[in-house]
Amino acid sequence: MFALTRKMVVLGALVLSLVASGCSSSPSSGNGQSASEPSADGKVELKFLHKWPQPEYAPYFEEVIKEFESQNPTIKVKVEAVADEPMKDKLRVIMGGGSVPDIMFSWSGEFARKFVRSGAAMDLTEALNADPEWKNGFIPASLQPFVSNDKNYGVPLRFNGKFFVYNKEIFDKYQLQKPKTWDEFLQLLDKLKRAGETPIILGNASPWAAIHYLTGLNQKLVPADVRMKDYNPESGEFTDPGYIRALQYLKELKDKGYFNDNINSSSHDMATQMFFAGKGAMMYLELEEFQQVQKSMQAAFDFFPLPAIAEGKGNQNFITGAPDGFIVSSKTQHPKEAIAFLKFLTSKQNAEKLVKQIGWPSPIVGATNTDTALKQVAEAVDMMKSAEGMAEWLDTDVHAKIADSYLSNIQLLLDGTKSPEDIMKEVQGVAQEVKQEVKQ
Amino acid sequence: MLKSSFHNARSALPFILPALLLIVLFVFLPILFNLYYSMFRWSAFERNGVFVGLDYYVKLFQDPIFYTALKNNSLYAVISLLFQVGGGLVIAAILEEKVIRRWQPLFRTVFFLPAVISISVVGLMWQLLYNPEIGLINGALKAIGQTQWMHSWLGDSKTAIYAVVAVSQWQYTGYMTMLFLIAMHKIPGELYEAAMIDGANRLRTFFHITIPQLREMILVGSMITVIGAFKVFDEVYVMTFGGPGRSTEVLGTMLYRAAFRNDEMGYASTIGTAIFVITLGLSLLQMRLAKTGQEV
Repeated sequence: MFALTRKMVVLGALVLSLVASGCSSSPSSGNGQSASEPSADGKVELKFLHKWPQPEYAPYFEEVIKEFESQNPTIKVKVEAVADEPMKDKLRVIMGGGSVPDIMFSWSGEFARKFVRSGAAMDLTEALNADPEWKNGFIPASLQPFVSNDKNYGVPLRFNGKFFVYNKEIFDKYQLQKPKTWDEFLQLLDKLKRAGETPIILGNASPWAAIHYLTGLNQKLVPADVRMKDYNPESGEFTDPGYIRALQYLKELKDKGYFNDNINSSSHDMATQMFFAGKGAMMYLELEEFQQVQKSMQAAFDFFPLPAIAEGKGNQNFITGAPDGFIVSSKTQHPKEAIAFLKFLTSKQNAEKLVKQIGWPSPIVGATNTDTALKQVAEAVDMMKSAEGMAEWLDTDVHAKIADSYLSNIQLLLDGTKSPEDIMKEVQGVAQEVKQEVKQ
Repeated sequence: MLKSSFHNARSALPFILPALLLIVLFVFLPILFNLYYSMFRWSAFERNGVFVGLDYYVKLFQDPIFYTALKNNSLYAVISLLFQVGGGLVIAAILEEKVIRRWQPLFRTVFFLPAVISISVVGLMWQLLYNPEIGLINGALKAIGQTQWMHSWLGDSKTAIYAVVAVSQWQYTGYMTMLFLIAMHKIPGELYEAAMIDGANRLRTFFHITIPQLREMILVGSMITVIGAFKVFDEVYVMTFGGPGRSTEVLGTMLYRAAFRNDEMGYASTIGTAIFVITLGLSLLQMRLAKTGQEV
């Protein structure tokens, strides 16, 4: 038909090879346990993905990696960092594509179990058992959420809890005390409200902020065994009346005007700025934010956990929070090096450095103390250690689809367009759907 | 004519082929793959999916969010037609007026500027402007004493979609204006002169000369706008991500949510097919209406 010129053949081949290389990017390594093969320059390259690109956090990782590389000259660590929200998407995208990092960030609980179920996470049990010193270095409650079917699939980097942080100046002005029960809490809020203060600041433009309230409320109002059964995608039903009560408790706070206006259009960052500026008496914050509070707020601060609820059927001595950390890809070519790096990252020395330098509470026994950390952070970690358990973040502890249903509905609860009953009906429907899919 | 063009086609083929190959590989094949994938339940983690046939299509038509998204996309289309095509046309006509023409370059630049700003920047900027506490919009309303109009613009599930749509109008009306201005410059001035001599006023010349002469441009512009309205994603993603609740969900964000939040790749493919069918339908309509697609 027409003469194929030489150039065209070359061009065609080029295009095809481009396409072929794109297609064949699926994992080529057979099993993850194969011996490590150093690359051409004799160095092993470890890909490391974490979620702290912010200038206040990233340098810590750079320093630790530099130190690790100088101690292990044959290993090179290649870092990539994306922020919190994009991380949820990023992990899904890289799992679909071929180039999975050797070590990657993960939340604990269901978020990590999803990788375990699909065989993407390496079993670390053996490595942990082989080095008791390493294993026993962790506070048990921080290692447990990374366990699935009695096997360890992850290693925690930091231990995070959620507390009501309050502005001492405002509390002192009205002679208020830390509330121990929900009733005391409501009385306190009422006093603040009547005095013309904004009792609680909440920025719910990204709805995880309000979901953290619900995390604790669900835990306190629903019996633990029922809740654990429901949070498991294979058996979730969400029919316990406690779930509706939890939403009603949150709605009550809103309806009585204890929150600031425009909850759904303020971001969490904007809300914290308002709190720092003294425009509200308290805010529900994560332990990792305490250092920021100390730095940015003029007034002194103190904190208390979500108060106990008398009618609640859950354990009232739980604290809301969870560790987050790292999992190792089951496809990694360098399992030994990856574990060596994790050990280095979670060594007591580096844990102390982490606490000191960026103010995060560490899951390593003894690393968070009054020498390394802020007084309040050390106190909170003690509280978490003595708690009877942790209520893990609802949005990472249930199946992604149930989390999505909760997340989008909580905004509608707070702007008054949807009732607790309707929301739970929807969640129940999604739970049924998920149950079907997981079973097949 | 036909013969010579056939001859040309032969010799042109080697030049077209690489592009053709690329289009087939990167546009047509993925569309087919997408159709195929939409019949499986699979997630990014597990490649081997479960065959579900047309289940996802059934699910799509039963999903209330799909109708919310369709409604929002249609709203986008209608409002964009009104403001970008209608408004753009009027602004262009005003800029062509003799009195203002001297200043036309200035206004052209000012109106066109938003179209070249990156959408993330636009989104973040408007998030700030809409902010009920510190935003300019509520601030301006307060300054003129109209406090009853102050509102939590992006935070209220009843009004959020209008707030998002408004940003697109701000961004792209100037772009349309530019297109109309260029087309207007092609209209022979004699037509207006003749009309003036016959005693037609400005409004009459606008309706009886400008609009008929711009018929082609208006059609093309309308179609670009409408098809764009069904593909919209980034504005919504940056400003609200479909929230509050699911009130600002459009087909694009619905697809993204299904794929990258809920791990329902098959369902996402189904939504992709729906977007494809809708935009294809609109494109065919455009070709039909315009008939002279060659000039575009």
